[in-house]
Amino acid sequence: MSTISIENLRKTYGRYTAIDGLSVAIPEGCVFGLLGPNGAGKTTTFKCMLGLARADSGTVLYDGKPLEPSTFERIAYVPERSVLYDWMTVAEHVEMQRRAYTKFSVQRANELLAQFSIDPHKKARALSKGMRTATMVALAIAREADMLILDEPTSGLDPINQRHVLNLMINESARGATIIFSSHQIGQVERAAERIAVIDKGHLALEGAVDDLKADRKIVEGIFPDESYALNGVANDPRIARADRSGRIVRLLTTDGAPEFVNKLEAMGASGVRIVDLNLEDIFLYAVSPSDATADVVEGAGS
Amino acid sequence: MPVVLTVDPRSGVPIYLQVIEQVKRSVAIGVLAAGEQLPTVKQLALDLTINPNTVAKAYRELERDGVIETSPGRGSFVKSNGVKDTTKAAAMDVARDAIDGVVREAKSIGLGAEDIRSLANAAIDRWFREAE
Repeated sequence: MSTISIENLRKTYGRYTAIDGLSVAIPEGCVFGLLGPNGAGKTTTFKCMLGLARADSGTVLYDGKPLEPSTFERIAYVPERSVLYDWMTVAEHVEMQRRAYTKFSVQRANELLAQFSIDPHKKARALSKGMRTATMVALAIAREADMLILDEPTSGLDPINQRHVLNLMINESARGATIIFSSHQIGQVERAAERIAVIDKGHLALEGAVDDLKADRKIVEGIFPDESYALNGVANDPRIARADRSGRIVRLLTTDGAPEFVNKLEAMGASGVRIVDLNLEDIFLYAVSPSDATADVVEGAGS
Repeated sequence: MPVVLTVDPRSGVPIYLQVIEQVKRSVAIGVLAAGEQLPTVKQLALDLTINPNTVAKAYRELERDGVIETSPGRGSFVKSNGVKDTTKAAAMDVARDAIDGVVREAKSIGLGAEDIRSLANAAIDRWFREAE
């Protein structure tokens, strides 16, 4: 139904650069996971997407068009922090949403609140952090929006309700909605997301389909007879994202062609060469951690 | 649905490949019979809490491999033409992947082709003698 594209987004707060030239395209009907360490710029990205923060430069396009008042009718947003009014009941929030959005379904909202065991007569101030998150998710899903922007939509929830939120997202996606969400729970992103982006210090560190990243990114590990081995340019191959050497052991992070590097390491005299699969958490950690060992290996390659 | 699939999203094996492997295994051992209907993409995505496009991708590959057929509006079914061939092919696919992993591991710890072959023959002798 809808595509979202972020092009060259840049946002600074005084001398601090929160987002530095971020470009991401979210295809129609995709569940897109945004990962990053604390302070990486995820929430700022969402705020810029919605016009809640003014970007210094860059564009955000919905179906190829910039944000306009009518776009808000098609986007449901769950912010990281509660925006519920403490003095209002949950039912009053439902009524407020009904008045604000033409497609909002009161019946669906009440069903969803019941699934989360939320008493609509409770005032927001009486809800726990997790129940506030669940209430905002319920209100967003009941919008039947084309696009969902969810900032930590499982934060504070117990494992059962976390799973329920994921299934609601999957259901929305099966309906055709385009979804972008952030989470620190990488296992959830691994389940629900088709594509991910990792941002680090405002930069795009990695982007791709979760299954492709897992299929392509492998560790090739080998042990040399002594520490004086040279890698003969292997470490300079563009398919090697990083190379860590620790004593006689070398670990290559390949972005493609792992079996070829098994043969190369064996031909160079390494033994015990094996391919290690990486899960999304490993891939994430490699994407955001500095590869200072690479310099060492590249130097060694020439010797 | 009689078919019980499980996936481990935290594994390094892409989820769609896990779904393909499990459907093939179910066909090979007859848990999924010829002509039997698979869950819809949406249903399987919700059952396993995985992305619907991931399930759709697995189904597309299973169709390309001749294991299932999809008719628009009706759903996906285990292929009924030449079921023997489908079952055998599915079993071969599952076993090929398993043997490939074992040979790779044996080679990586320094065994040569002859060593691995003699181990494989010994294993075949043992398992087939016990089965008889």
